[in-house]
Amino acid sequence: MIANIARRLGQALLVLLGVALAIFIMLRIIPGNAILTMMGEHADPVVIERMTAELGLNEPIPTQFLRYLHDAVTGDFGTSYSMHRSVRELMGAAFGNTLKLALAAAVFAWLLGIVSGIIAAVKKNGLLDRLFMGVSLFGVSMPVFMAAMLLQYVFAYQLHWVPISRVTDWRGFILPAIALGWNSAGSIARLTRSTLLEVLQEDYIDTARAKGRRQFGVLTRHALRNAMLPVLTMMAVQLSSMLSGAVICETIFSINGIGRLAVQAISGRDIPLLQGTILFSTALVILGNFVADSLYSVLDPRIRRGSEP
Amino acid sequence: MKTTNTVLPTEERLASQIGEAEGPLELFARLAAENKLAIISLIVIFLFVLAAILSPVLTPYRFDEMDLSQRLKPPSAEHLLGTDEGGRDVLTRMLYGSRVSLLVGVVPTVLSMLLGAALGILAGYLGGWVDALLMRLADIMLAFPTMLLAMVIMYTLGDGLVNIFLALTLVNWASVSRIVRSETLKLRESEYVEAARSMGVSPMRIMLRHILPNCIPSLIVLFTLNIPSAILTESSLSFLGLGIQPPNASWGLMVNTGRQFLYTAPWISLAPSAAIMVIVLAFNFLGDGLRDVLDPHLKKS
Amino acid sequence: MEEKNVLEIRQLRTSFFTRRGEIRAVDDVSLDVREGAITGIVGESGCGKSMTARSILRLLKYPGRLIGGEVLLDGRDLTKLTEKEMSAVRGGEISMIFQEPMTSLNPVMRVGRQVEEALRLHRRLSAREAREQAVAMLAAVGIAEPEKRARCYPHELSGGMRQRVMIAMAMICKPRLLIADEPTTALDVTVQAQILRLMKELRDNGTSILLISHDLGVIAQVCDYVYVMYAGRIVEHAEVCELFDHPTHPYTRGLLGAVSSLESGSNTLQTIPGVVPNLLHLPAGCAFSLRCGECRKGCAEHLPALRACAPGHEVRCHRIGEVNA
Repeated sequence: MIANIARRLGQALLVLLGVALAIFIMLRIIPGNAILTMMGEHADPVVIERMTAELGLNEPIPTQFLRYLHDAVTGDFGTSYSMHRSVRELMGAAFGNTLKLALAAAVFAWLLGIVSGIIAAVKKNGLLDRLFMGVSLFGVSMPVFMAAMLLQYVFAYQLHWVPISRVTDWRGFILPAIALGWNSAGSIARLTRSTLLEVLQEDYIDTARAKGRRQFGVLTRHALRNAMLPVLTMMAVQLSSMLSGAVICETIFSINGIGRLAVQAISGRDIPLLQGTILFSTALVILGNFVADSLYSVLDPRIRRGSEP
Repeated sequence: MKTTNTVLPTEERLASQIGEAEGPLELFARLAAENKLAIISLIVIFLFVLAAILSPVLTPYRFDEMDLSQRLKPPSAEHLLGTDEGGRDVLTRMLYGSRVSLLVGVVPTVLSMLLGAALGILAGYLGGWVDALLMRLADIMLAFPTMLLAMVIMYTLGDGLVNIFLALTLVNWASVSRIVRSETLKLRESEYVEAARSMGVSPMRIMLRHILPNCIPSLIVLFTLNIPSAILTESSLSFLGLGIQPPNASWGLMVNTGRQFLYTAPWISLAPSAAIMVIVLAFNFLGDGLRDVLDPHLKKS
Repeated sequence: MEEKNVLEIRQLRTSFFTRRGEIRAVDDVSLDVREGAITGIVGESGCGKSMTARSILRLLKYPGRLIGGEVLLDGRDLTKLTEKEMSAVRGGEISMIFQEPMTSLNPVMRVGRQVEEALRLHRRLSAREAREQAVAMLAAVGIAEPEKRARCYPHELSGGMRQRVMIAMAMICKPRLLIADEPTTALDVTVQAQILRLMKELRDNGTSILLISHDLGVIAQVCDYVYVMYAGRIVEHAEVCELFDHPTHPYTRGLLGAVSSLESGSNTLQTIPGVVPNLLHLPAGCAFSLRCGECRKGCAEHLPALRACAPGHEVRCHRIGEVNA
């Protein structure tokens, strides 16, 4: 198992290196002169000269890449142009908000998704099944901005359950968490239902019933543990993608998180900030996938004991 | 299937054995029998396409026709879905916006399918360093959060419809190539491909004549399921101001401009949101139905 | 010797309700399972033998439903029990093992836990006692190093070992009756022989067994009494020696002929013509009439009753007395 995880870790690091290279190419090489993009075409040539030197853009490209890698590994992402603060500080502050939002959204999505998925599977083709599956398909089809705006319109504007202007305490996270989690809840519910239905067809479910387990025990002791394996993977992936910045949700609800920081970096043409946020976000996704894979191999004895390649 | 010993299997017969593809009509009949929702969805999609094509005929207004005396009017007989902050007819803009959404749904999806299928087959069939290289590349693309990657590409390329096509193609090819590769790996080991190889059929021909046709069911399903995600990504990009620019109409853009009037004129943003949801829902239903009919083993992924 | 029955099935009927109509998987089946003996049900796949077994424990899968008859365990009708009472019977008084040892064990649960489970459900025992009994049971079914094996996951065991685990699991509460549904079909021949020997040992220690198989060889080796099923009905039953010495129903004779033609090495393989009929479109009369070489006028129209042709030997055929006299 250890060797297995070590191999995955190696792969993850390789992908991370590739990601770093891809970002480097996209942001420094393709757009031509990064300084011009940032400063506009009528900037003072002296300023351009100074900035170019400051950023090291007059050095050969391999040297630039190595320096950029070194900086990234040591956590030095430079200084933001538009906000005049260190990118690392900005991201540190933003990640706190993104973390709160993502955790709230994930808990909402998982509770709703798993519970409704289980009920739908147990009551297959019944009224609740149809209801939950219909709602969850709406969930996966509704754009985040629509969910966000509908929630704002109904709960903040019409019903006044939460304040319209954003507050900074926990209540400010209720609507964003629902808007962001809505989609994920739909996917989780659908996956839970389909894997559970598959598992309930397995022979060992008959065995458990033949032993005298009643429906509830069959479900909790035998079916769920098997059905939850793929769902757990999806959960880990979802969490990491929420953590990597819920761009739309953070923008609509004015939450100063990683996603909003990336949007601000783009509108401010702020290359160090954009580079920092996207590198950080992608690293989070890679970490999430790694955790998901490792979790799977810990929880599934067939993989854990290495009987499968 | 019976084999006669006197006739050696020809390449054509081998291909026909596995490729016994049903015609579109039979497929449609099976879909209609098994999944009513999928057929309804197909009709909805057809109506959207019709509306997009016929939009100049369907509305007396122009999509960029400003009339400041008619600002922010609620839905009425003249303006079925009201007017926006520039006095433009919301329904008209939505009709024109459907052109963008449908184009953005289809064009980059086709491009990414072509690219992904080609690379996936190459990687799976050739194996070795080609496979390793292409799949690491796919891993890297898949590691990026979709929205952020699309944003950075749009930032790099600049806005505009063609650049949206490019960005979405770059974002989506990797997952297609992964799936096609794994299908190819399975098919490569199958007996009829072995047989074709032993008869000296060239690798190119094996890939095109024997492997590709067998990937088509999966590709059709992927196609229907990737369209809605492309539509959603475009609307999100335009919503952030990184996609279609005013005065052109796009649903995401309309939602964005309407957002500041959410409490006073909710129709401006909610109507195009609803349109996005309906078309996405329709494609999702259709994709689900097609998957059940065509290719049950895709269910898990 | 007075014979006592553990289980008596009376006029059991189980059907599948499909869109195309009712399928009578088990049609008016009555049978007795004798105490301390192995009773066999034999027939081709799809003849309703597994459905009979599942009906006893009420483990039918949708859209199957038990629609009539009685299942008497020591005189108590199981079909009348509530689901809660029934779950006390399952695994406690009657237990069952299945055909596919590969998939009948929960892949993410240690083997020992799975063996203990029935014990913990039906008896009040501490965790340690349960564990000890489970290990002892594993040893009793012939598993070497039972303590080590108890900590294994199913995929780490061989097919034969898994079937032993299944048997240990079924026997742990010392049930009145063990139902074995094709217990050896998925195993290779040497392992098959070992498992059959184990079943005979269990019988010799007093366990009553209902064994279901499509394999006459298996039936001949271990059973004391045999029921032959065809298209949802019992067509013949007798003690094992009587049945193999004097097969009377044309179907039974066909089955035996198919086996003996292999054993005697004759050149032509004797088979029963045709296939198991579609249960949706059965003739009103004898279901075997479609394939029967001795079918006469009226066979397909009138259902023959089960009639004794010798003491303890009953046959469902219009032509007994005529054919075998």
